[in-house]
Amino acid sequence: MKKSIVSLVAVAAMTVSLSATDYRAEKPAAWTAKTVQTAIEGLYGKITPVESGDIKLKAPKVASNGGQIPVSVKTDIPAKTVAIFQDVNPESAVAIFEVPEGTKAEFSLKIKMKKSGSIIAVVEGKDGKFYTTKLSLEVALGGCEG
Amino acid sequence: MKKFILALASIALMATATMADAPAATAPTKVKMKIKAKEKNGVVKAKVLITHNMLTYDQAKKKGKVANFITHITATVGSKVVYDASVSQFLSKNPLIKFKFAGKKGDELKITYTQLKGEVFYATKKIK
Repeated sequence: MKKSIVSLVAVAAMTVSLSATDYRAEKPAAWTAKTVQTAIEGLYGKITPVESGDIKLKAPKVASNGGQIPVSVKTDIPAKTVAIFQDVNPESAVAIFEVPEGTKAEFSLKIKMKKSGSIIAVVEGKDGKFYTTKLSLEVALGGCEG
Repeated sequence: MKKFILALASIALMATATMADAPAATAPTKVKMKIKAKEKNGVVKAKVLITHNMLTYDQAKKKGKVANFITHITATVGSKVVYDASVSQFLSKNPLIKFKFAGKKGDELKITYTQLKGEVFYATKKIK
């Protein structure tokens, strides 16, 4: 009896609450995917994101240190989640941000890239549509070798 | 009454969360993080430097160590989530993250992160 109340309450809490989703737990396939396409599918299913100029994805054109590449992504598209992928590391997914109510979809982070390639951002709009943009960059010194 | 249910719910949620997590799940440990949180016109700009090896599977293999990296980072003010990122081994060593949210001076910003094996760490800073 107690167990069912606890689980009922837990379910209620999850629906009521805090938008904090651990996508590592929720979408494991997205994190082991080796290509950007399969990573996107692992996260969002079979979707066709539309190229959008409303996503500002920034990273240095030439990254001197592949282990510390500053990347920033910003969009005014009302977003639910924003995902970052790259196409040179053993696995493609880098980060998935959930955009809580009352916050801007504007994030900066530092990432590792093994060599020169592209960074891809996908925005899951509140309208149910998906938007994407891509940025190519050169990496002077590969970033996965410690 | 509502508060009581909410409290019960959060306890239950934490219980299920720790049960779902890896065997090494322990109580969250407070650690030091470099947190800067400044409010201007109702918007708080946060900058967080988390000290972490972010040892990838490849790097770990080379060094004969066990891979360990941050997998999930959340920032909260009170019970409100203001940042939520699920991340991979490809974040830089000692990752620096930046984000913005609606907030005010004096509130306390809490940064919590979970690493590969499930251990949870956190740090807090008052918004300036």
